[in-house]
Amino acid sequence: MGFVWHVALRYFRSTRADAHIRVLSSLTAGGLAVGTAALVLALAALSGFQNHLLTDLARHTPALQVELAGSGAGVPGEAAEEPAALVAWAAATNGVSAVQELLYARGWLAVGASVQQVEILGFEKAPPVWIPVGDRAARGLIVPIAVAQKLGLAVGETVRVFSPRPGLTPLGPRPRTRTLPVAGIYRSDRADYEELPVLLPLEEAAALFAGGDRRLDLTLEPEAEQELVAGFLRETVDPAKATVVGWREANRALLFVLRLEKSLVFSAVVLIVAVAAFALLASLSLVLSSKRSEVGALAAMGAPPARLQRIFLALGALLSVGGAGLGGALGAGVAAFLDRFRVISLPPDVYIVEYVPFLVRGSDVLIVVASTVVFTGAASLLSARRASRLDPVEAMRSART
Amino acid sequence: MISVSGVTKAYRDGEVRRQVLRGVDLELAPGGTVAIVGPSGSGKSTLLNILGALDTADAGTVRIDGVDVSASRPAALAGFRNRSLGFVFQFHQLLPDFTAIENVIMPGRIAGRSAASLLADGLELLDQVGLRDRAADFPQQLSGGERQRVAICRALVLEPPVLLADEPTGNLDAASGEQVLELLAGLRRRRGTTMVLVTHNPEVARRCGSVLRLDGGRLTPA
Repeated sequence: MGFVWHVALRYFRSTRADAHIRVLSSLTAGGLAVGTAALVLALAALSGFQNHLLTDLARHTPALQVELAGSGAGVPGEAAEEPAALVAWAAATNGVSAVQELLYARGWLAVGASVQQVEILGFEKAPPVWIPVGDRAARGLIVPIAVAQKLGLAVGETVRVFSPRPGLTPLGPRPRTRTLPVAGIYRSDRADYEELPVLLPLEEAAALFAGGDRRLDLTLEPEAEQELVAGFLRETVDPAKATVVGWREANRALLFVLRLEKSLVFSAVVLIVAVAAFALLASLSLVLSSKRSEVGALAAMGAPPARLQRIFLALGALLSVGGAGLGGALGAGVAAFLDRFRVISLPPDVYIVEYVPFLVRGSDVLIVVASTVVFTGAASLLSARRASRLDPVEAMRSART
Repeated sequence: MISVSGVTKAYRDGEVRRQVLRGVDLELAPGGTVAIVGPSGSGKSTLLNILGALDTADAGTVRIDGVDVSASRPAALAGFRNRSLGFVFQFHQLLPDFTAIENVIMPGRIAGRSAASLLADGLELLDQVGLRDRAADFPQQLSGGERQRVAICRALVLEPPVLLADEPTGNLDAASGEQVLELLAGLRRRRGTTMVLVTHNPEVARRCGSVLRLDGGRLTPA
């Protein structure tokens, strides 16, 4: 063992002997343990929630979307031929296993005197897999339960669907409307963080909402890499006709908020570690005061300032590593326990998950360790620099006064 | 070997400026020994600290073994102190967290040598001052005289060419003092160690090659 660690370890042992230093160094280690445990737990809880949210999002969002240009222009029939060609182009792309054409629009449902504005989703073949419709073979109008309850609808009853775009008749423009029977009602397992659409077969939706936004949802083969397929599609498609969007890109705002949330929680909780680092600074200052004459003697014997500095950096590491290590292990252990046994439950009608999930990520632990090292390193460096700048004569004189 | 020329040193004591050294000159050949005597507060320890590169002079030059210690950088001076100087302080300055033998070999550890390579030399020195069986004791388990003898062993362990000692026998009884003086004399005979000793003890002064008196900030033959 080298000189620096030899002296640092002996000084570390001596912190156990002095009552004041022992109390302060125990508080330091305890503070660091609490700080790192809190950080690991907070990040694990956030990661757990975000993991659930992102998994749910990925399940309810197609891997790739192709938004068709020219749609939504309000000119009926304008884009009628383009989708077919683009569907064929997308379906022929390597890695794409299925293509579904969709149409989005806004309209109204009316039952007697009750009118409800809704989002309309026109679907090709069967409802999209991310819409939790019980009877996937149902054809016709399928409404979310919230809309059905508001309008007092049941399966088999009829409802009038209104389009905001007028149709031209010999008598002049007239509202486009159609009376359709309710073929199904669906209940989503998702919370009310977005409006759920009313589903219509594509041909019905196109007839009513010809100017709606057209989109192709692409399902990829399991082994296909989303970025590669998206890159190929972007290179081959005429950007004037379509835009290729990945699910991360489509949810960019949400993902940004999730990252921001994590950063803010980290910044708040890391203050505990900062406070513990101040305690470390106090501990090391106390050690330095009690060892002042000895540091002077070491300097007189030829220990250069840089090595005296390293002794106190090493001592800071010894005082902080135990606490931070214990806290990290404690935080990870508690997080794993809480997740495994689902200890903290949540109201299922409010949250998308019935318990508080915890997920300990290696990268999160690394960030916690790095922040602890930065704070404790800075605290140790302050004391270490003071040690290296001691005047040996003055320091040794202090032992006699 | 040791060449001191025109060294001055003053301290500020509140509003009062106190001139401790007023143009001190000293020449000491390799292997020479000099005792510096003088009343308390005359600046003997200050001169020793300047010679040992622990303190800096306001003016003048100090050259030891060809090195201008008054113009060297702190890191270079640290290495120089470790390699070329042995210190015996008035108050032993042992490290209380280390055993006697660990204290003795500490300069070697600072020099980067392993404990194993220093152990034999350290134990031999402790044997010479009658403390071999106390090697594993901590300073607080030793008497004042024993601590001072351990401190002397520490100063000698790397066999430095220059030894600076501030009252090396000040805390020792007659027998222990005699042991220490014999140790120093043996070192000078074997290694030709140059020694500067600050002392109040006439017997210590008598055994040195020359005796100088520091009084009023000036060094004169006693």
